[in-house]
Amino acid sequence: MVAAIRHRKSAVRRVLHVAWLAFLCAALLGVFTPVLAQQAEGSPAPEMPAPEMPAPEMPVPDAADAADAAPAPDTQALDEEVQLLKKDAVDLNRELFMLEEELLFPANTQVAVFLSMDVGEFFALDSVQLKINGREVGNYLYTQREAEALLKGGVHRVYLGNLKVGEHELVAIFTGKGPNEREYRRGASTRFAKAVGAKYLELKITDRQLRGQPEFEIKDWE
Amino acid sequence: MFRSQPLALTLLLVAGAVIHALDASAAERHALIGKPAPDFALRSAAGPNLRLSEQRGDVVVLSFWSSRCNTCRLQLAELDRLYATYRPAGFVVFGIGVDDDAARAVEFVRAQGASFPMLFDPAKQIARSFDIDNLPMLVAIDRFGVVRLVRRDDRRSGVAEYTAALRRLLDE
Amino acid sequence: MIHPRQHVDPRWRRRGARLSLVCALLLAAVTAPLAEAAKKADPEKLPVTRIRDLHYGDVLFYFYQGENFEALTRLTAFDSWGRLPSHQAESQLLLGGLYLELGLHNEAGRRFEQLLGPEIPAGVRNRAWFYLAKIWYVRGYLDRAEAALLRIDGRLPAALEAERMHLRANVLMRQQRFAEAARLLNGWDGPAVWTAYARFNLGVAFVRDGQLEQAVPFLTQVGTLASGRNELLALRDRANLALGFAWLQAEQPAKAKEALQRVRLNGPFSSRALLGAGWADAQLGDFQGALTPWLELRDRSLLDAAVQESFLAVPYAFAKLDATSQAVEYYESAVQSFDAESLQIDAAIERVRAGTMLEGIVEREATGGSYGWFWQLKDLPTAPETRYLYSVLAGHDFQEGLKNYRDLAYLDRTLTRWSESFDAYGSMIDTRERAFSERLPRADELLAADGVGALAARRNEVESRIGQIAREADYAALGTAEQRDQWQRILLAEEALALEPPGPERDDAAARLRLVKGVLYWNLAASFRGRMFEQRRALRDLDALLRDTQNRWERLAVARASVPANTGEFGQRLAAAGEKLAALRDRLVATRGKQNELLAALAVRELSQQKERLNTYQLQARFALATIYDRAAMAPSEAAAPVGPDGDDTGTGPAAPVEPTP
Repeated sequence: MVAAIRHRKSAVRRVLHVAWLAFLCAALLGVFTPVLAQQAEGSPAPEMPAPEMPAPEMPVPDAADAADAAPAPDTQALDEEVQLLKKDAVDLNRELFMLEEELLFPANTQVAVFLSMDVGEFFALDSVQLKINGREVGNYLYTQREAEALLKGGVHRVYLGNLKVGEHELVAIFTGKGPNEREYRRGASTRFAKAVGAKYLELKITDRQLRGQPEFEIKDWE
Repeated sequence: MFRSQPLALTLLLVAGAVIHALDASAAERHALIGKPAPDFALRSAAGPNLRLSEQRGDVVVLSFWSSRCNTCRLQLAELDRLYATYRPAGFVVFGIGVDDDAARAVEFVRAQGASFPMLFDPAKQIARSFDIDNLPMLVAIDRFGVVRLVRRDDRRSGVAEYTAALRRLLDE
Repeated sequence: MIHPRQHVDPRWRRRGARLSLVCALLLAAVTAPLAEAAKKADPEKLPVTRIRDLHYGDVLFYFYQGENFEALTRLTAFDSWGRLPSHQAESQLLLGGLYLELGLHNEAGRRFEQLLGPEIPAGVRNRAWFYLAKIWYVRGYLDRAEAALLRIDGRLPAALEAERMHLRANVLMRQQRFAEAARLLNGWDGPAVWTAYARFNLGVAFVRDGQLEQAVPFLTQVGTLASGRNELLALRDRANLALGFAWLQAEQPAKAKEALQRVRLNGPFSSRALLGAGWADAQLGDFQGALTPWLELRDRSLLDAAVQESFLAVPYAFAKLDATSQAVEYYESAVQSFDAESLQIDAAIERVRAGTMLEGIVEREATGGSYGWFWQLKDLPTAPETRYLYSVLAGHDFQEGLKNYRDLAYLDRTLTRWSESFDAYGSMIDTRERAFSERLPRADELLAADGVGALAARRNEVESRIGQIAREADYAALGTAEQRDQWQRILLAEEALALEPPGPERDDAAARLRLVKGVLYWNLAASFRGRMFEQRRALRDLDALLRDTQNRWERLAVARASVPANTGEFGQRLAAAGEKLAALRDRLVATRGKQNELLAALAVRELSQQKERLNTYQLQARFALATIYDRAAMAPSEAAAPVGPDGDDTGTGPAAPVEPTP
């Protein structure tokens, strides 16, 4: 049975996300990846012009001279071209993404349900089941990677759909592991009014430090 | 396609087996071949939920089984050997059980002792999305997430053939 | 008295705690020591912000999973829709970071240029410029790399600071600014690994520039460092090797030997060290001594240039020792080996030109789902050609080209998936347009008829009539149909009666009529209040219904107004996107082809150089043989008089080891 059903329109309390952190991670992700087979992880690669040793005079032909004889192909011109192409591909991908969403979920009828977590200690999310007006519209199973992304401050758009203008009911049932490896199954529900224009709802899982318990609520974004 | 009654499932599978015995080349034909594999996440016997799309970059083989299917045991054992060999080359196997009897499925997993993840699909949603009409059934997905091979034929003699096909996928 | 700065808002403190926790979490995935550094790096961060736009959180959800392409797509799409109004600054910064991550350094540079103003904390700005400098350096944009490095203000966190110095030194060296690089490194007391690499690189750069004096201290430092790390030991070997050969070139065989003897015999550089040690002996005139290391090399793989050279060096030493027949034997076997190897290189060049080998490498690597600049080729392919290509495959040009190639493959695949959805969208739009075309005329008709307006007018009529009945207390008006009929008949009868001649008969009828009228009036009056209430309630119900209808009407009007924009626009957008997609895919294929050709050209260039070197050796061996034969024919008693590595004008081009004597 759904135990604690709660709906609270409180101010956004979750505090998170620092842009520098985001950037740092974007930039850092690869820095410490293993370089080539020859180099140990986490260490700098020997840079140009290292690899070749200076040639002794006899009877080895100087590698540098040989290099001058056969000019290196122009990598930069192609790099510029590839960049332009990548940018166009990225832009087109965005356009298609937008076209798809506008076509499938027009702003007038769009309803999106998001899930966020501001917990760490008291709850390991396993799944969330969503019902709108008594009909199951989604049942999402979270992998470890996804749960970690949520803990870092990511917000998952768990449902995107269409609803008519009017009153609706959303029920969310969360499962996961609580303190002491205890299996949790908790629900939260809300009634909301859908007007003309997109509607956003946020399922929030928070730690209540004092009680040592996770709490579940649904925030109605006006 | 699947009903929750085991009898219906069994009947269906028997019918499937008969049909496919008549059509030997059916193993190669499947509506999903060349198409992106439908994504899914399932609970695994070992605990964590696993999502297909997170395996992108690896060759993934899905082997659908049921605890009532003896040839499934053979196929899973065969895959376990391949998994031991090709795992370092980026080879992933998911055994997907379609039993609706959870206890039987868990017992089957325990007895099988496969080293790759065994997943549970009691609602048969994933089996449906992959058009599974036979057990065991094997679906191979390339490093880009595209279905490349579907095998309904569970005869021992076909093993070399699909092993070669898997190796080709790994080499791509 | 409490100083204002000592007052800390407890909420703020909690944020701080949370932040470092998340920070540690985040960075632990990358590297543990850095997480430590970041924890301390408090003054470097941007003010903490809350997630105010859910869609920004959605972008982060993918970003934190390493799905950078997905994060970029969502970020740009959500931004276009105006769904990120509260996170403009961070989302632009993240956008720059994602572009950088995906190798779009021009785009990233442009954005950082605009974004990294003084309002962004120095730490963030510095890191942005650092990573930009790094990608520009490996892609060969040295001026830009230097400019970006100069924009770093103050120090970076320790781990990055070392890399920054290293990068700066490398940029200077590649611009041939050795003195500046030396000044930079002399004053630098960084982590051992980084300083060792930097000093090694600079030492080699000096040697190449002909400044041995300058090189010696750097290379000796690296060549004598104590370390248990395999990686540093390999670097030490390389430094000693470079130093040894530099001394050989300077005709200082004793110093050369000293350096070369520090190279480990079981390390990857032992072949070259053995070769050098032989030359040192030869320079000292000890040809017997030289033969020991050189003969050691004969059993090793001929792929190694040092081994190839030893095939010439051994007979050269024998000739010096007047062992002509051995010299001939070794020269002959060298010619044969060079021939065979040369054929193999030819075959390798053929295969590379045919495209099969590179496709093998690249396709295999390109199939990984990930995408982006920070990707690295993890292991080298097993193709037979690969053994000739180690140095090329490890070079920046090849690696960066490979990244571009696989990014293009990834984008191609992604776009192909879209093209599969196109048919479905097309038919969706068709269906929708058909539905609209069926319904629009009816909607227009309805809207034009102004049905709601007419209803409202009728409702008002009803209301005023009820008001009139109430005012006039017209009880009969609210009677049942039967009552109203009766009432009407009574009134008619009264009129008829008035026309009758007066008399007892008429009085009697009038009395009965009055009685009937009285009863009916009584009944009507008794139910009037109730009926009036009913009427008013019905009117209220009607009002509610009318309001609903009005709302629906308005929505229909809105929907109708948005129809042309919706359908036609979608069709057009879909068609335009389809065209772009096709054009882009053509470009992707073409550019991938070019990238492949470029990679092949790099490989072929390397193979050709190796072949050229073999040919030179080949020529030298044949020439030496011919000389020996000639001499034997002319003066059987006179031994060949080869010239050793003591010629002073060599070193720039291939020089024959054997000087022909007339």
